[in-house]
Amino acid sequence: MHDHPLDLIAALADGSLSDEAEARALVESCPECREEYRTQTEVIDWLAAAPAVEMTDLEKAALHRDLWTELRTEPGKSTATPWWQRLAFVAAGLFVTVGLVSVLNNDALDDSAESGATTVAEALDAPVEEAPFVAQGSDDGESAPEMATTTAAATETTAAEGGAESFALLFAELAEEARASQADRSATQGTDRDVEACLSRVGLDEHVVVDEIDRDQIYLLVMPEDPEAEPIVTFVVLPRCEIVYVG
Amino acid sequence: MTVPGNEAELLTRVVSGDRDAFDVVMRNHEGRVFSVCLRILGDREKALDATQETFLTVFRKAGQFQGRSAVGTWIYRIAVNTCYDQLRRAQRRPSASLPDHVDPSDPSAEEAIESAALRPEIEAALAGLPPDFRNAVVLSDLEGLSLPEAAEILGVPIGTVKSRVFRGRRLLAKQLGNQNDQ
Repeated sequence: MHDHPLDLIAALADGSLSDEAEARALVESCPECREEYRTQTEVIDWLAAAPAVEMTDLEKAALHRDLWTELRTEPGKSTATPWWQRLAFVAAGLFVTVGLVSVLNNDALDDSAESGATTVAEALDAPVEEAPFVAQGSDDGESAPEMATTTAAATETTAAEGGAESFALLFAELAEEARASQADRSATQGTDRDVEACLSRVGLDEHVVVDEIDRDQIYLLVMPEDPEAEPIVTFVVLPRCEIVYVG
Repeated sequence: MTVPGNEAELLTRVVSGDRDAFDVVMRNHEGRVFSVCLRILGDREKALDATQETFLTVFRKAGQFQGRSAVGTWIYRIAVNTCYDQLRRAQRRPSASLPDHVDPSDPSAEEAIESAALRPEIEAALAGLPPDFRNAVVLSDLEGLSLPEAAEILGVPIGTVKSRVFRGRRLLAKQLGNQNDQ
């Protein structure tokens, strides 16, 4: 077989030849070359039939979380962190806190509602049904009601009892919203919303806005500025400047 | 989050600690890096580890990028080398285990994992190839890179890549029992 121009046959099989005439003539006149061509083509076809590989959302979150964990300790680098690192960090923290096992627990929402557990809304001294996410929803997209439901669900449960599912959904929604709003963010940043004054008014000094979701109102995703601080996420709605979710 | 400038410029900004620039570079390439790593290592968790290690290296060595190739090519070369290192360390066959962070309730997980699957016998045959051949086949026939790109990534002459791809395919066919002279 080594007497034959195998590289030419392989190139014919993978379509990388600019002029195939010589190779085709060879394949037609030489049985061994023809067999080699068939073998090469067959393997190429098998491999080409494999669909593209994609990362899952959680794999991406895990990648970003782990990278962030490593990079934040890099010497001589800025400690400023982009929103996705914080978001991934929050999500990872939530998942770790509640445990993946409970994600599979189907009785998350009902059981926790019946348990009388203290809700975030109660902690904020505001009825759940009055929370803007729940009461107002949105009419500008299919995901808006889902997010309202998700956020409401998150406020109705505790992390200890079945909250994992809500957090998982919340994170999925947040990630989707964050991606969708990437293009808009640069355009909306820097407008005069007096964000700092608002954060200060609701006691969120030394916090940063890591994401914003532009619906009929502006929802800010706020986290402590200090990366070493507990990664508590707070939603603040503008322009009313009210906290609607803490978790 | 939009960070203007071409990728080489972005890497320059990464050197000065601009993490938003790094974020853009990573998002541009994380999918393909993961794909290459998964095809080479045959295991999603190992591929994720290799992807992470790749981007850590990108971040740490951004200053060493000299612009002689595309940024993507440079990054994929780091990815392949990272996989080489993992294979050397592990020295065991890839497996199809479900990694801990794959949430069974994640609707995208099953689809993504399913989509990555080669036919089992092909997966096994690919895993059985010598790493040099496997990497050449993965880059050329699975990732669809050109021979010059694959050569750049693997750090070998184009003729060597051609030879490895060709011989890799023959070994695959042989292992799959589809060669007449077997």
